[in-house]
Amino acid sequence: MEYASKHGAGMAFRTLTPEQIREIHSASCRVLEEVGVVVHHDEAADLLKQAGAYTDAGGRIYIPSALVKRALESAPSRITLYNRLGEPALWLEKSNVYFGAGSDTLIYLDPFTGERRPWQSSDVATALRVVDALPNLDFVMSMGLLSDVDRRMINRTQYALMLKNSVKPQVVIAEDRGTVADIFEMAAAATGGTEALKHRPIFALYCEPTSPLQLPFESVDKLLLAAENRIPVNFACGAVAGASTPVTVAGTVVQANAEALCGLVVHQLKNPGAPFLYGYGDSPLDMGTMVAVYSVPEALLLQGCLCDLARYYSLPSWGYAGCSSSKAFDEQAVVEGTMFTLIGALQGCNLMHDVFYIESGRTGSLELLVLTDEVISRVRYMLGGVDTTPDYLAVEAIRRVGPGGNFLGDEHTARHFRESWRGNLSDFNNYDAWAAEGSRTMGARIREKLRDIMEAYRPVPLAPDAEREIDGILRRAEERLAG
Amino acid sequence: MSSLKELAELVITGDIQKVKDATKQLLEAGEDPLRVINEGLIPGINEVGVRFKEGEMFVPEMMMSAQAMKAGVELAKEKIGGTDIPTAGKVVMGSVKGDLHDIGKNLVIMMLESSGFSIVDLGVDAPVEKFVQAVKEHKPQVVGMSALLTTTMPVMQEVIRALDKEGLRSKVKVVIGGAPVTQEYAEEIGADGYAPDAGTAVELCKQLLN
Ligand code: B12
Repeated sequence: MEYASKHGAGMAFRTLTPEQIREIHSASCRVLEEVGVVVHHDEAADLLKQAGAYTDAGGRIYIPSALVKRALESAPSRITLYNRLGEPALWLEKSNVYFGAGSDTLIYLDPFTGERRPWQSSDVATALRVVDALPNLDFVMSMGLLSDVDRRMINRTQYALMLKNSVKPQVVIAEDRGTVADIFEMAAAATGGTEALKHRPIFALYCEPTSPLQLPFESVDKLLLAAENRIPVNFACGAVAGASTPVTVAGTVVQANAEALCGLVVHQLKNPGAPFLYGYGDSPLDMGTMVAVYSVPEALLLQGCLCDLARYYSLPSWGYAGCSSSKAFDEQAVVEGTMFTLIGALQGCNLMHDVFYIESGRTGSLELLVLTDEVISRVRYMLGGVDTTPDYLAVEAIRRVGPGGNFLGDEHTARHFRESWRGNLSDFNNYDAWAAEGSRTMGARIREKLRDIMEAYRPVPLAPDAEREIDGILRRAEERLAG
Repeated sequence: MSSLKELAELVITGDIQKVKDATKQLLEAGEDPLRVINEGLIPGINEVGVRFKEGEMFVPEMMMSAQAMKAGVELAKEKIGGTDIPTAGKVVMGSVKGDLHDIGKNLVIMMLESSGFSIVDLGVDAPVEKFVQAVKEHKPQVVGMSALLTTTMPVMQEVIRALDKEGLRSKVKVVIGGAPVTQEYAEEIGADGYAPDAGTAVELCKQLLN
């Protein structure tokens, strides 16, 4: 059984033992079989019934373990996500790690004035361009809720902004089937039609059960639509441990796993072999403040469990990184964001989102985003592991330099020093040089970089006819919704 | 034989069985059921509230204490028979149409209950008519609405309008809450109050009914 992460040169990380994985899997199967789920969707309920799930008089559905096993067998073990230019960009499998921003924060924290305000479309466009420009961010999400468009048009408008301001693959939230259909159409317009899009998906869809153990209509409806159109999709419990899931990490894993597997079963019954992303997250309820808090150590442990389980199941994994409970871009934000990013990478989580979340997902910080880009750069370097081939063991160089010598003048140093990690935000000056350059802190350097990107960076534009088509789709949706 | 003071202590420890036993003992010994409630059980839960605010006790402990208190009150009520126990007020509460978030709403409900309010819970995804119907049927003093989504917030305004149309608006106080909700929004749609968390929600309801 392969379950630990595997990175460069034999570097590995695991959270669970094989016995623990089997215990969790078995406990989740027991929950599905003994406790059951409530499915608020007739077609999904019928699919389950026809496949042999038992429905009691109250309508609760109990899923036999055999169905779980069958779904795990038919689901693909890997997914490629493409960029808007049609190039393969993300290979979601094994321990590959990719990072992206988050969706739907309520408040934009202005990096230059510190002002907290509702997002405007222009803020979201800017934020998306920043993600597009940062080399270590691999995918985009909607970043902020638009306060300047009709509420029913928010998700669609966000998607058009993603297409216009970035070529990177997307993860998408949509309120219902109709919204997903419009998003799919916009994506098809940008990538050469629906058949091409099914073959080369540029976005994954984010769906959630309502814990504990309920499958709401809209989520399941989107799940089924995704299965039909082979849009990669997750069914990710957003746990609030102590309230919607058990307070223990293991208990939350058992329930969130049961919910994800239940989503997988429905999804695979609808279209065996359609791509499914396995994952979930936890923001435990702080029992003093009653706030659902992000990035606490329990949440990091939970992600370790799900990554080990994903590899055990041979499914691509979905998780979190670079996010925080802090209300400001401050030391707490840096600690929490960095810890999650590093551990998520070690855990080998394939697709990690929410980089730039502060205030547990209610506010977005572009400063945290830029900082995390540098953190990811450090982390990616580390994941390369240590090369121990003879030239790297450097016995010959050590012999040449000998006792009391200096490696600076040796050709081995000249040949290899460019392989060392180099950041572009971290400061490695001595004090005097740093002071002479204005004693700028990391925060100041981050804001300067942000300003540069905002002023100068231009994403690869959409073809004009694709852009017209996308605007047309938006206009028609608006007319439909108004009518 | 335990005293009223000891009963209050037991409520604080949150031991449901012990609170039941002590309540029974007191009632059997002829203690006035109303005194058992007002001088034993309620002071206990009030002290829990104080300790929670001071950060000495936490939500799950408060929940256990509230359940223990409720169990005691039930026993005392049986003894009184038909007489209605005065509550702090009746609140109709729900997550509005389209919204499935209920953790915050449920916390507000639990906190209100432990402060002596009686609650009619409309659950999640509650349509406008359900609120109106509940107000007609249960005649609450307060209507509480929870919305965590920007897209579901406007439903709160629809409910207020519907209450207005039915001539019910002046009979109830309307309080609202949830992630995207603000004091300004409450004022904008003509609600009587907003609270950012469950503790403040309780104070708000008490204040509005005074
Ligand atoms: C847990 C969670 C979920 C769970 C909910 C499970 C459940 N049974 O409730 C699940 C996973 C199902 C979920 C689903 C979705 N969610 Co959600 N969710 C959250 C999360 C992480 C925590 C919410 C929570 O429970 N907090 C803990 C409780 C205790 O706090 P609270 O709800 O704020 O309540 C307190 C106060 O607000 C106040 N209060 C609350 N109600 C009331 C009522 C009154 C009368 C008063 C006085 C006070 C009051 O008191 C409470 C206690 O102190 C938030 C992010 C966040 N940090 O808030 C996102 C969040 C609310 N969700 C969000 C979104 C977008 C969604 C989805 C649309 C995503 C999707 N993929 O489809 C769906 C929508 C489903 C639906 N139709 O409702 C957004 C909302 C953005 C917006 N405003 O539109 C948020 C902000 C996250 C984000 N930035 O993306 N979610």
